[in-house]
Amino acid sequence: MNPEFQRNLWLESAPRRVAWAIVVLLMIYGAAIMVLRTNPYGALTGLAGVGAVVFVACGMIWGARATGGSILNEIADRTWDFQRLSALDPWSMTWGKLLGSASLAWICALTGLLLMAAASLQRGEPGALSTLVFLTALAVLLQAISMGAALVGVRKARAEGRTARAGGVLGGLIVGGVLLSWVAGSAGFQRGAGLEGFGAMLSAKGLIDWGGRYWPADGFRAVAVTLFAAWAVIGAWRLMRLELQMRNAPVVWPAFLVFLAVFAGGFAWRDGGLSGALTTGALAVALSAYAAAFAEPADRVRMRQFRHHALAGDFARAGPLAPAPLAPLILAALLVVTALAVSAGSFARPGLAQAAALIAFLLRDLGVIALCRLGERPQRGDFAAVVALAVLYGVGGIVGWSVDRENGAALFAPLSAAPMLSLISGLVQAAIAWALVARRLGPSVPPSASASVPAS
Amino acid sequence: MIEVKDVVYDYPSARALHGVSFKVEAGAVLAMVGPNGAGKTTLLRCMAALDDATEGTISIDGLDTRDDPRGVHATIGYLPDFFGLYEELSVRRALTYAARSRGVSEAATPAAVEQAAARVQLADRLETRAGELSRGLKQRLAIGQTIVHQPRVLLLDEPAAGLDPEARRALSDLILRLAKEGMTIVVSSHILSELEDYSTQMLMIRDGRVAGGGVVAAGAGVRDGTRISVTFAAPPADLDKVLAKLDIALERRDGDTAILLAGNGDDDSAVLAKLIGAGLKVSAFQPTRRTLEDAYLAEAQS
Repeated sequence: MNPEFQRNLWLESAPRRVAWAIVVLLMIYGAAIMVLRTNPYGALTGLAGVGAVVFVACGMIWGARATGGSILNEIADRTWDFQRLSALDPWSMTWGKLLGSASLAWICALTGLLLMAAASLQRGEPGALSTLVFLTALAVLLQAISMGAALVGVRKARAEGRTARAGGVLGGLIVGGVLLSWVAGSAGFQRGAGLEGFGAMLSAKGLIDWGGRYWPADGFRAVAVTLFAAWAVIGAWRLMRLELQMRNAPVVWPAFLVFLAVFAGGFAWRDGGLSGALTTGALAVALSAYAAAFAEPADRVRMRQFRHHALAGDFARAGPLAPAPLAPLILAALLVVTALAVSAGSFARPGLAQAAALIAFLLRDLGVIALCRLGERPQRGDFAAVVALAVLYGVGGIVGWSVDRENGAALFAPLSAAPMLSLISGLVQAAIAWALVARRLGPSVPPSASASVPAS
Repeated sequence: MIEVKDVVYDYPSARALHGVSFKVEAGAVLAMVGPNGAGKTTLLRCMAALDDATEGTISIDGLDTRDDPRGVHATIGYLPDFFGLYEELSVRRALTYAARSRGVSEAATPAAVEQAAARVQLADRLETRAGELSRGLKQRLAIGQTIVHQPRVLLLDEPAAGLDPEARRALSDLILRLAKEGMTIVVSSHILSELEDYSTQMLMIRDGRVAGGGVVAAGAGVRDGTRISVTFAAPPADLDKVLAKLDIALERRDGDTAILLAGNGDDDSAVLAKLIGAGLKVSAFQPTRRTLEDAYLAEAQS
């Protein structure tokens, strides 16, 4: 048996803990049966509802907390270095923690899932299987994301010289998700991309227009969430490799970005054709660059090493050191250029010119984020970067608007009203930001750390 | 066994190691000493392939820490200064997990667990929960977990910190036993006295650099040149002249006790015979050892 899985079973699913969990579940389901005896739709239907709540509470909330804790508790208990020295391969460590730390949560969650399945079979509901697959995949997705967030938090904390925590990373994911929803739902974005199908997928009602075809929403949702869950597990495994001092060739991250571009672009195919799909894919990839920029450890030494190897043309060594936002930046730019080429159009078309301006501002924003995070106090870098971006977009936009309305505001944000102006302004600002980053990285040798007097 | 060459390590705002180089032969017990903040922990973490050196190379038993970090992990045992245990697990389960996660086969694990428990003298507490052990016993369990896969190299960072005198003595005995079994051991500390009993070599790190002449012989069992400490019963006032006639130099005198330097290749027994033959009443005769403190001060002055 995988030792990591076994150790987690010892700790999480000890017979006493399992017995207590069974007692609590029996009390919950017993109370539900008492209340639901007179349910006109039958007690099993009501129990399935309780089972759904149990599944969400245990599989998604408790399970996600447990998988994140499987990393953070090691840090808090000072056992993480011991784990990093183990002979277990990263995949064994990953699945051992994922399944083992959430083992009791899964035992409880599966009782809920079984009740839901039984009720669905009794009613003969179509699409029940896809719903069960969706729920299971969603639980795995959340658990893997939680573990990945903890691993990201550990790497960031080590580079920034502070205590590891996942709260900031999870908070960032939630804020990022909200911002992503806001951007995806905005009128300007939908005009070019048409993401009504994305909303249909979340609600799993009707049909989904993806890739020029209509798909049953429930089945599409189950497949999509399963694929994202698989990517989340792969992501946790790749992060685990880094923690075990192994190097990641720049393959899986770009592959995920391509998947993301295809997935997002598929929603825009019918309205925008290939050009629209490429543009939408580029925007999705560009947004992921922000997440990558904040998830990357603020490690000036690593950045210096990457620059050194890249400038020397030693790409074999530079590759594993490449900053994570580099891949989405390049891919987004390539997708925009391809979109321009396949549309045989020009910058006169507002959607494409605006997309190019978006890439320019992405380049600027990545520079601003890097500048803030690579300072003398990297532990405050994330907050400083958020404030800097808020000032640039918020205050800058207001000032620009007051000077020359759309044209002024376009200097500080990629606006469709003046896309060429936005493009030029974005490129100029990006050049300034990255020049400052290069200066901050500096070629100089850092000062020596001082030492105290020895004890005898 | 261990070769560190031109190792540089940079923190984001400071350079912690400046081109550190040294070698440790197989079977040695190296005391890595230096003030707090000198870079000892950083160097040990680089040697354990837990952190990547910015520049330079570290070879452990022929394995490069950068090219084969997982191989190095399998070769070494490393106990950090602030270690943790799985406090809810019993000693047996903690050692079992350690053995299995360090690559010991399932079939060989029970024997490895028993052996490790015996080496750290916890064989009678295998069913005790780790959280119920005293500080000293936890230290032993942590070392047991570190050596359960029988590493060839053991790296210990401030292992005696927080231990009472009895537990320190037990730790010294354990390290001596492991050294006799052929393990190459590196122990870091900023308290010299705790390294005295078991170290055979010393390396001083100061301000991220190797201070003095690199690795030097010192500590347990190492003679301090030809020095002998002799206590005389009623020594004559002209002791120095008497000794000079015997071709023995008087380095210093403190009351009845004197530190002598043997000359002409005389061994200890020849010196003792000369003293007694000259009618001096010898009440104590002790060849002196080169303590870590002696070596430290000598290296610091150099």
